[in-house]
Amino acid sequence: MLLAWELTAKLALVNPLAFPSLELIFTALIDSIINGDILLQMLFSLGLIVIGLGIGVVLAFLMSFLSVVSPVFASFTDTCVSIFHPLPGIALLPLIILWIGTGSMAVLFIIVHSVLWPMILNMTAGFKAIPEVYKKIGQNYEFNTFQSILRIFIPASLSYLLAGLKIGWARGWRAAISAEMIFGASGGIGGIGWYIFNKRVFMDTAGVYAGLLIIIAVGIFVEDFVFGKIEKNTINKWGVA
Amino acid sequence: MKPIIEIRSLNKSYEDYQVLYNLSLKIWPGELICVIGPSGCGKSTLLNLIGGFVKGDQGEILLNGLLVEKPSRKCIMVFQEFDQLFSWQTVRHNIEFPLKKAPDRLTNQEIRTRVNHYLAMVNLSDFGDYYPNQLSGGMKQRTALARALALSPQLLLMDEPFGSLDAQTKRDLQDTLLKIKEKTRATTVFVTHDIREALYLADRIVVLRAGTVAAVIKNQSRNVSETRVAEITALLSP
Repeated sequence: MLLAWELTAKLALVNPLAFPSLELIFTALIDSIINGDILLQMLFSLGLIVIGLGIGVVLAFLMSFLSVVSPVFASFTDTCVSIFHPLPGIALLPLIILWIGTGSMAVLFIIVHSVLWPMILNMTAGFKAIPEVYKKIGQNYEFNTFQSILRIFIPASLSYLLAGLKIGWARGWRAAISAEMIFGASGGIGGIGWYIFNKRVFMDTAGVYAGLLIIIAVGIFVEDFVFGKIEKNTINKWGVA
Repeated sequence: MKPIIEIRSLNKSYEDYQVLYNLSLKIWPGELICVIGPSGCGKSTLLNLIGGFVKGDQGEILLNGLLVEKPSRKCIMVFQEFDQLFSWQTVRHNIEFPLKKAPDRLTNQEIRTRVNHYLAMVNLSDFGDYYPNQLSGGMKQRTALARALALSPQLLLMDEPFGSLDAQTKRDLQDTLLKIKEKTRATTVFVTHDIREALYLADRIVVLRAGTVAAVIKNQSRNVSETRVAEITALLSP
């Protein structure tokens, strides 16, 4: 693939402005890493997504917990998930701009929206799939609802929670980059989405590809090293994957 | 001597189906009682009622003179399912898990000592660091037994715990249970549909039929003969 790419670029089969050579792309990448720009933007985006994931997970936990203790709240949660889960965060942009303006808060809002619903869906599915015998054992040990959820439900449904987290991460990551491209920078830093958008504005196509390469690298790192490691040390080891 | 469990005129129905009818029974400290009966006669329901997992419609169950209203650590159940062990914890941690919760307030050293003691009792001393998915069915049931015993319950409830095991493993576990009973004098209610198992284990056999106690048989001899099997089989028939 790299060979085909390089040949296409060198033979100028496509406009070099749209299809730069690998050399140009890697030069742009190295330059950007050396001057710290791309890493700074990436860290900014990752910071936002970590905060968004954290808020999403906490909210998902609270809503799933309340759904376990209250059938009325469970019905409310089900309705919310049915309504909001299929709704792309980007479709909410005009409203978000009206409500909270542009900038990091708006991006954060979209990330939380992207993470929350699949996370609730997986968390509640995981709780429902817990063997009845675990619930009985929790009762036998005189655990209250909170203790049962914390000490039995969450570890017992970890495979579902991790699946929800992976979906949430993927959706949140995409949503964050899209939103950054639209909202732009505040205070000179706008995340990797803004970096790519900015490079396109200045027709620095090699810089655009450099940004994409970093996104791919982060995606592989998170998938293989973060989630892969967690899965290896938990659900794979326990034989519940 | 006071009974550890006293069941008085217990009735239980699910919708229109009367499972238990006017059932009364006393269980004495240190006894191993086997409850046998045909499928659907209410054996497991009786165990769940004693454990407080379900409520009776009428009548009462007293555990050491106190009304059983909900599940408690005084009365621990060992289930038939192999997946009763927490998959995310090693054998050792499965046994430790309930001990770490108040009101036991045991020190870490006391917990370790107790876990080691019960691991040795069920012959699993070398398997403390194994996860349940690395164990055979028999080892899982041994762990579940150790976990239940480690809590020093007033009453041990066992719902066909060896029902899904092969004959040899079943016999090994039955022997282990008898040894444990000898050492701990744990009062046990053991539900089974296997008459031979009941004859091998029980001090008394409670025969359930049509939702009530059809007979209570003393079994001090633990003689598993075909004649005795035939006698009990006759009692099970309507």
